[in-house]
Amino acid sequence: MKEGLVNFKGVKEGIYIYIKEGDLEIIKKELEEKIQQYIELFKGTNFLGIKGENLTEYETKELLEIIREKYNLYVLKDGLPSYLEEDGPFDGIDEGKTKFINTTIRSGQVIEYDGNIVIIGDVNPGALIKAGGNIIILGIMRGVAHAGVGGNPDAIVAAYNLQPTQLRIGNIISRKPDGDISSSEIPEVARVKNGEVIIEPYLPKK
Amino acid sequence: MGKAIVITSGKGGVGKTTATANIGTGLAIMGNKVVVVDTDIGLRNLDVVMGLENRIVYDIVDVVEKTCRLKQGLIRDKRFDGLYLLPAAQTKDKTAVKPEQMLELIKELKEEGFDYIIIDSPAGIERGFQNSIAGADEAFIVTTPEISAVRDADRVIGLLESQGIHNPKLIVNRIRYDMVKRGDMMNVEDIIDILAIDLLGVVPDDEAIVISTNKGEPVVSEEDPLSAKAFRNICNRILGKEVEFLDLNNSEGKLSKLIKLLFSK
Repeated sequence: MKEGLVNFKGVKEGIYIYIKEGDLEIIKKELEEKIQQYIELFKGTNFLGIKGENLTEYETKELLEIIREKYNLYVLKDGLPSYLEEDGPFDGIDEGKTKFINTTIRSGQVIEYDGNIVIIGDVNPGALIKAGGNIIILGIMRGVAHAGVGGNPDAIVAAYNLQPTQLRIGNIISRKPDGDISSSEIPEVARVKNGEVIIEPYLPKK
Repeated sequence: MGKAIVITSGKGGVGKTTATANIGTGLAIMGNKVVVVDTDIGLRNLDVVMGLENRIVYDIVDVVEKTCRLKQGLIRDKRFDGLYLLPAAQTKDKTAVKPEQMLELIKELKEEGFDYIIIDSPAGIERGFQNSIAGADEAFIVTTPEISAVRDADRVIGLLESQGIHNPKLIVNRIRYDMVKRGDMMNVEDIIDILAIDLLGVVPDDEAIVISTNKGEPVVSEEDPLSAKAFRNICNRILGKEVEFLDLNNSEGKLSKLIKLLFSK
């Protein structure tokens, strides 16, 4: 089986599909071709599900749907064995993999990554940024940011102008206080202190 | 070769159909061969706004299903040389047309020799919207100075970008400078701050639009109304001319000077 974006992996519990990072449309095409070719493999064995290098939950669901509808292949109830599941929250917030995006993120767009995310641009209301690590925005942040997805409470959200509709760090959700708050002239950082999300200047003495 | 421009917004009721009718009519008055296309199947309005609903025999669904020839579906507006309408169907819905069929239709319209094909998009981001953008070379985004409209416009711009239509241009419609001055309405800079696209034109809220819509005579053909001037300016900018933005304040206020300064290119 030649290496591509879509690969079948056999473990003692059964077979799962491992999907490398790539364009979703190309992945769908490859998936179709390969399952067509190797459909016999799946007969008489357990189908454990899909593990993606950088697939969002939504994309994973979409692919599983396609597999179910076209080939009548159902995921075994327990799904991927635990040793294959993501292992714990991302802990590279001081030094770790980072995704860089240089554009404005518009309403309805979702950026998901299991490391840190740096956006050189604005984040408009209705946009969602989800990172396993930190979220740094070199611009105006007006959307929703969820840092430390997976449960890391030390992740931060920072922006030139922090005006999010909602902020989530780890498992804590927060919104800006009711009433008018004057917006800051300097970059700010949001982090968790004493169990709640607080916003402070990017350097303590500023 | 002609240009296909889709006029869309996301939000309903912000003035896409009005803009389509007036920009189409304006460009025709200025000597171009123009067709305005209504893709709001099931809820057609462009024909009413253009005053042509009594002349509809065939519609866009008939044309894409090849029940009639393209020429039979096109309605020639007798008031303005070179202006045609391809109406939507009223008795079907948006599943009656597929994006691939729209692509073919736009190609055929370009082969007919139209300089401009102005496509009126329905509200929403579903099939009707997808149909309207298939085959479009460019997009104009219409918004009113309201947070909800701007939010939807932002969403649509993102969708357009992901489908290969880049650099849409902005039309801010129904602005009321008295409210902007009081701080009760968003101003154009606030809108551009969020949407970050080039400004094509600003159209003031104008009673003349309500009157002309009900009469079926696009306001752009009239001399006096401020909205007519605004649409003529938009048409000139489309044709590549540099036009100063209208002084929509009655006095030469700081605001209008600021706007002219900010957006003169």
